[in-house]
Amino acid sequence: MSTTTEHLQATAAAMPTAPRVESPLRRFTAAFFESRIATAAFGMLLLVVAIALFAPWLSPQDPYDLAVVDIMDSRMAPGEEAMAGFTFWLGSDGAGRDMLSAIFYGLRISLGVGVASGLIAMLIGMCIGLTAAYFGGRVDAVIMRIVDLQLSFPAILVALILVAILGKGVDKVIIALVTVQWAYYARTVRGSALVERSKEYIEAATCLALSHRRIVFRHLLPNCLPPMIVVVTLQTAHAISLEATLSFLGVGLPQTEPSLGLLISNGFEYMMSGKYWISFFPGLALLITIVSINLVGDQLRDVLNPRLER
Amino acid sequence: MKRMLSLAGAMLAAVILTALPARAKELTIGLASEPTSMDPHFHNLGPNNSLLSHLFDGLIDQDENQQLVPGLAVSWKALDDLTWEFKLRQGVKWHDGSPFTADDVIFTFERAPNVEGSPGSFGLYTKGKTLVKVDDFTIHMKTAEPWPLLPQDVSSIMIISRKNGEGATTADYNSGKAAIGTGRYKYAEYVPGDRIVMERNEGWWGNKGEWTKLTFKPIKSSPSRVAALLAGDVDLIEQTPTVDIERLKKDPNLNLSEGISNRVIYLHMDHWRDDSPFIKGKDGSSIKNPLKDHRVRLALSKAINRPAIVSRVMEDVAVPAGQLLPPGFFGVSENLKPLEYDPEGAKKLLADAGYPDGFKLTLHGPNDRYINDAKIAEAIGQMLSRIGVQTEVVTMPRSVFFNRASRGGPDGTPEFSFFLVGWGSGTGEASSPLRSLLHSYDKERGFGAANRGRYSNPEVDKLIEEAVVTIDDAKRGAALARATDLAIGDVGIIPLHYQVNVWASKKGIKYRARTDEATTAFSAYSE
Repeated sequence: MSTTTEHLQATAAAMPTAPRVESPLRRFTAAFFESRIATAAFGMLLLVVAIALFAPWLSPQDPYDLAVVDIMDSRMAPGEEAMAGFTFWLGSDGAGRDMLSAIFYGLRISLGVGVASGLIAMLIGMCIGLTAAYFGGRVDAVIMRIVDLQLSFPAILVALILVAILGKGVDKVIIALVTVQWAYYARTVRGSALVERSKEYIEAATCLALSHRRIVFRHLLPNCLPPMIVVVTLQTAHAISLEATLSFLGVGLPQTEPSLGLLISNGFEYMMSGKYWISFFPGLALLITIVSINLVGDQLRDVLNPRLER
Repeated sequence: MKRMLSLAGAMLAAVILTALPARAKELTIGLASEPTSMDPHFHNLGPNNSLLSHLFDGLIDQDENQQLVPGLAVSWKALDDLTWEFKLRQGVKWHDGSPFTADDVIFTFERAPNVEGSPGSFGLYTKGKTLVKVDDFTIHMKTAEPWPLLPQDVSSIMIISRKNGEGATTADYNSGKAAIGTGRYKYAEYVPGDRIVMERNEGWWGNKGEWTKLTFKPIKSSPSRVAALLAGDVDLIEQTPTVDIERLKKDPNLNLSEGISNRVIYLHMDHWRDDSPFIKGKDGSSIKNPLKDHRVRLALSKAINRPAIVSRVMEDVAVPAGQLLPPGFFGVSENLKPLEYDPEGAKKLLADAGYPDGFKLTLHGPNDRYINDAKIAEAIGQMLSRIGVQTEVVTMPRSVFFNRASRGGPDGTPEFSFFLVGWGSGTGEASSPLRSLLHSYDKERGFGAANRGRYSNPEVDKLIEEAVVTIDDAKRGAALARATDLAIGDVGIIPLHYQVNVWASKKGIKYRARTDEATTAFSAYSE
């Protein structure tokens, strides 16, 4: 008891003497924008997100409305004019869809699927990982073997089988992606939770006879979050490329509502005949999105990692 | 003198060297799909029939335009309404040297419908025919009712030898042990997934052709097939992808040959359910099946811009269709032309039928069966959406699609409401699509086998049934044409276009396009 009081006194004494006025958020922001590349990537990501959010207002055409897409406009080169009067800045695909609009809407689907599956997988993985770390012993062993099992299969293979069974559609792709990704989160969160669990404040909380739920979610979880933020960023990028792969293989989303992967796949057969724009531009958009998310994720990792002392 | 000698020697060598390849002429063919067996009666499937026609002969052969020409039978005629006489070719030898006689024909007709594990039997061609051997080179075929299509049926059966075929299994044919035919080529090697090799039968009864050795290589992926041709790995490819045709045409080192096929691509629709599962009102509520109304069906057909599909999706390698077979085939109607594109007229018809705002519809289709099938489906989705019929397009691999299209619904009924399919007339005349697609579904009598929309019109049924037992060609043709007129006028199906097949070959080799879509070495020749 006396040690706890001493500790509290020491902390109380240290507080007013600290000259820092900047909040942790400010410190974090400053550290993050130290890197020029990360700043540029963050700007790019913001732009991509804005395009995805405002796609219906930015696009010259609704690429999913079959009543406005005209087959007579198919395979127009970039810069040619559509029958409806607007210009195909990035050309049109085999069905007469404006590539620019299709990319904008495709980004919407890709980001939506990526973020949704990333967050859902994180929630599930986190709960499972925390449970494993907190209870330890047999619970831990069982859960972690399941995680091992899950991680031992290639993600694309599992996702492919799942989508083949579930059928086409955004919701089904998200289910498949969550299934292949939760294990990454479970494993990461367990690692950091194991470290945290042996610290005094958890011991203190246990001594106070707080409920398991309260200890896990109010005490353990907040301290495990930084690595999770990094993982969720990188896994979102991974989810986006997985979705694109599924769509490229023709099992992801319906033909009339192409995501970036499906656009690339549709254009692929025209590559030999010189109509590069049908798969080149969606590929570029996918590349920019994934690279900027990854760069932001890398920088987050550097900033949030206490071991990388600057 | 020495110099002269060496010069003469060099010239001689040059002559021999150039003469040699001329004597051994090999042809390598890139196939789009792999045959499933070397057994001519295992699987009634286009790629199998096409390949095995090199090893085996029928009593009657079909030429490039599916016209009947003498094969192992030199002549055939109907003695009366129920009996046909076949005179067999004399002096024909099997690849192992044994003579061909009427016994082999009798044996073939016994075996063909009874191959163990056959995924597509030849039974429909042998059904109802009783063979009687008159002498070693004369056969009588008897049928229970008049059957004018008997020669067409007979041309679909390849003759095997009794000596080698008795007790032989499909595996024996695949290994080459039983694959002894009378055909132009002899079995040399079969490596599933890689190649099939054949050598010329020097003792063939007809014109042997110029190729001494054939190698067939299955290359499923279209870009890879084109790449193999460009790289010179193969001399000839089938099913040239339409997106590449424009570019390949410009290549001076290649020849392209195209020919209209007997395959019509069409839309089939639900004619029999009152509540069709994939048709809903604009607000998502269930409505009475609008496709039962002739005006709605006609509106959907008028809404389709066939020339646009042909030019924009098929790259001009297709012909707009107004009926079941292209002009020139037996039994087609003179009156039917492809329906004009008329979106305004279509809207008016829809309004007259009580759907001024249209309805919601799901169009199903395969995505790996016909040339550009998924793209055609999407284009049709656009065209129907434009007249207010809000269309969702769902495409799937053929293995899933055909199962669901034929028996995916409750009690094994067809599942879809509106879907894209194709039909190739194996007999090369109009009775094949009429019997299978537009006659009322009647499993017992073998009518309407592919009538997945359950279209039923007693008048059409009567004409078809009448036609198939009429021996007189002119009368039969007229009945078939009349049945087509009625069924298409009633919009039993919506024809879209006839497929055109394109073969591409190296410079120096040409290909006579075949309407049956088959790729055979004897249709290829040097320029």
